[in-house]
Amino acid sequence: MNYYQIQKLKSHFFIGLLYFSAAFVLAPLIMVIIFLFLKGASSLNIDFFINLPKPVGETGGGMAHAILGTFYMVGIGTIISVPLGIICGIYLAEYGKGKIPTCLRMASDLLTGVPSIVIGIFAYTLIVVPFKSFSALAGGVALSLIILPIVIRSTEEILKLIPGHIREAGLALGLPRWKVIYFIIVKGNLPNIFTGVILAISRAAGETAPLLFTAFGNMYLSYSLTGPMASLPVQIYNYAISPFEDWQRQAWAGAFVLIILVLGLNIFSRMIVNRKQLF
Amino acid sequence: MSDNTPILTTNNINIWYDQFHAIKNISISYLPNSISAIIGPSGCGKSTYLRCLNRIHEEVPGARATGEVIYNGKNILDPNVDPVLIRRNIGMVFQKPNPFPAMSIFDNVVIGLKLQGVNQKQKLKGVVESCLKKAALWDEVKDILNKPGTSLSGGQQQRLCIARTLAVNPKIVLMDEPTSALDPIATGKIEELMQELKKEYTVIIVTHNMQQAARISDYTSFFVLGDLIEHGTSSQIFTNPKQQKTEDYISGRFG
Repeated sequence: MNYYQIQKLKSHFFIGLLYFSAAFVLAPLIMVIIFLFLKGASSLNIDFFINLPKPVGETGGGMAHAILGTFYMVGIGTIISVPLGIICGIYLAEYGKGKIPTCLRMASDLLTGVPSIVIGIFAYTLIVVPFKSFSALAGGVALSLIILPIVIRSTEEILKLIPGHIREAGLALGLPRWKVIYFIIVKGNLPNIFTGVILAISRAAGETAPLLFTAFGNMYLSYSLTGPMASLPVQIYNYAISPFEDWQRQAWAGAFVLIILVLGLNIFSRMIVNRKQLF
Repeated sequence: MSDNTPILTTNNINIWYDQFHAIKNISISYLPNSISAIIGPSGCGKSTYLRCLNRIHEEVPGARATGEVIYNGKNILDPNVDPVLIRRNIGMVFQKPNPFPAMSIFDNVVIGLKLQGVNQKQKLKGVVESCLKKAALWDEVKDILNKPGTSLSGGQQQRLCIARTLAVNPKIVLMDEPTSALDPIATGKIEELMQELKKEYTVIIVTHNMQQAARISDYTSFFVLGDLIEHGTSSQIFTNPKQQKTEDYISGRFG
């Protein structure tokens, strides 16, 4: 074997290694989806989306209340955290030097690392205990704490990618700094900021632990902010540990819907970015 | 309006980046409707000096300038002067073409005016046409004004940036190596354009390219390590330099 053949062999070996690593990363995801499809898709029908749970023993029924509940509480979390998170992210990216920004950045990083069950306990102490009731509001607040640090960090990272000379070009037109930041930097990168927001939302949509003892869950349709509310993850959890076969089947279906929802949000956000390549 | 009263004068400019003394005691006057070039080896502070003329140097943390930049009888380095108002009179074109992201060609040109509160459609349309014509870009983009500014080629983008700068109607245009990221054809177009701009504006340009300075400028300043070695008409600097260092540099023996 001469030198070039050895080099070629090495090259093939490492390319093969890369493919293997990629497959190793992808395999669990694909297996989860296939498994959930096999187990859950058969119980999935129109009833699942529009009906409420039936009493134990009766077949049929669905998770309409949990699907709505998930949207409702993720919505509350989004309304609380997304505007605040984007503003914090802009602040960190544009005025990010000094003590206060450093503290804010550290706080947001620590918040990312707080286990979600602890966030649940926090919302429990903050809202459930004083109001003496599990509530959708408590669930929404807990989810907002999941969303907040992700939005802050992704907004900051995206805005930091914009080269400084673009800001200077705006300032050189005789524009005040806030106009440069708002109309040129932020507006010019809305699709990218939006992607971070969607990733944060999809993360929150799949959380169980923060909702377990805040929103708690129920078996009926509820729109009340102050009453307990069902959500897909908690409903899945409750059904999956139940002894009833029919409920277990529905838990599989719920899990399938949840993963499609989260996956769909992720794919959607990536499509937005790919459509608008900005640099 | 070409007279001998300087439109911009710098007196004893010193600039520091934290402890580093980047520009030392520089005093130059600029006449209206002229092109003045600043040349010198890398790291001589020519960009730093240019950037303090509209106070954009303040964007670099730790940078501070002393001395005077006199424009319209006022020292614009005075902290009481609002840099925002200065920059409407003293615009800047940067080294890398930098059209604003997610903005059409049209919006890129008028964004400065729009954000100053000018909203009449007809007026904005007129400004877009006249500025793109001044920047010699109109014929190439008049049918695609709604396309993103970033979709143009590098040379076109740089002319778009010049049009954007002209749209806010400055008196002086600072250019920081505006052609260093462009190919020779695009460079040639921008150089031609500068001769046109000179009729209405005063241009101060930093360039790495001595031939460029010799071709386009009326006056040339030569900087080395933060010192002004020589300032004079370009024909004098390039044919009959008074300083040995200048001669060495322009003849390629140093730098």
